[in-house]
Amino acid sequence: MQAPFASCLAALALLGLGAGARAAEKPGPRGVIEETVSAALAVLKDAKLSKQERRSRVQEIAYARFDFGTMSRLVLARNWNLFSEAQQGEFEREFKTFLARSYGSRLDAYNEQEVEIVGEQAEPRGDVTIRTRIQGGDFEGVAMDYRLRSRGGEWRVIDVVIEGISLVSNYRDQFKEILSRGGPDQLLRELREKNAAQET
Amino acid sequence: MSRAAQTGPAAALLALGLLLAAGPAPADSDLPVHDPWEGVNRSVFAFNEALDRHLLEPVARAWDFVVPDPVETALSNLFATLRFPIVFGNDVLQAKFAAAGVDVARFLVNATLGVAGLFDPATRLGLEANDEDFGQTLAVLGVPEGPYFVIPLFGPSTVRDTGGLVADSASGVYSYFAPFWVSFAARGTDILNERSIHLESLAEERRQAFDFYAATRNAYLQNRRARVRDEVRGAQPPQDGVDEDLYHLDEDGE
Repeated sequence: MQAPFASCLAALALLGLGAGARAAEKPGPRGVIEETVSAALAVLKDAKLSKQERRSRVQEIAYARFDFGTMSRLVLARNWNLFSEAQQGEFEREFKTFLARSYGSRLDAYNEQEVEIVGEQAEPRGDVTIRTRIQGGDFEGVAMDYRLRSRGGEWRVIDVVIEGISLVSNYRDQFKEILSRGGPDQLLRELREKNAAQET
Repeated sequence: MSRAAQTGPAAALLALGLLLAAGPAPADSDLPVHDPWEGVNRSVFAFNEALDRHLLEPVARAWDFVVPDPVETALSNLFATLRFPIVFGNDVLQAKFAAAGVDVARFLVNATLGVAGLFDPATRLGLEANDEDFGQTLAVLGVPEGPYFVIPLFGPSTVRDTGGLVADSASGVYSYFAPFWVSFAARGTDILNERSIHLESLAEERRQAFDFYAATRNAYLQNRRARVRDEVRGAQPPQDGVDEDLYHLDEDGE
């Protein structure tokens, strides 16, 4: 069922390939995750980098691989319409910054050693889920699934599911609470504050 | 998220009473969350958080400072091995006999080659741990989840899982073979050790949350439901369409 050796080889091969080879053909969902994960692990293992540098580099990786527009809509769901056009734009920008940082800090805090791709599943309406597991360290065996959606032939991540916990669903619930208390203004204020606090 | 632990007989009685009062969760495209006692739950949650910040977390930091990481891992393996009767019992109750066989083999390998459970060679041999408890057994038997419920001192749960915790704690090895103080010390060490392993990750989850109560409730419910379906550590791939609604909005006229 599992092919740890094969996926290690694949990850190594991908690391070795230059940008030129990669540009020739757009990778499938599995390829996107292999690239993302191996690039992130290489950064996290680089002892020369400070914690801040590690996290900001993983953030850069996430910028290229996550579909923040779709994630923003999914996380607000029907509350998207409570936002004016300007507010929607601001939400997307702030949420993008927040999520990319959050992905970097989580990977860092979970102290990932190796990641093994253990499966791939086509979802009923065209999305694909790539299932991975953390190998080694304190979080050995933790399941991390990535859901991807294709737009114009380009596969990008629309959700990360850790131990069955979807990030989109989790933030949707939290934002619903904040919106019911203080509306879009309150949520945007809290997002800005959170992003500012993470800069230091 | 901190792992919920065992609880006392008072909680058992409470859980039974509450189970009878439990209604069905409202249908929605969001994660169904049934939290009619949110006010009380939020207070208990705040109390548990304060207790963690002022007592458990500082002690766990000291523990983490003194105890080397490999020892923490070994202890964690040991306590996992000691939970064998619970996992095995619930495999059987759910008629998962192949899984029960794997758990017996794991126990035998880890108790011997793994030096009385301190190491986990079984996983490397392809015998992966199953994750079962009585709360999941109740779910498989069709008992409704009941309202979300934050247990004082122990953390997030549901009425069904509270009942499960009580049953599991009664079937733990310590209760029959060791005097109460051994069981007490073992539980304490287990909790402290687990807490020290999760120092960084839990601090991170707190930082990343906008409403930590809502974040924890959502995470607990999603995680438990996925585990009932054996999707997290078990061999099952996620079922088609279980969470499909989460990912489609306007185009289907929501």
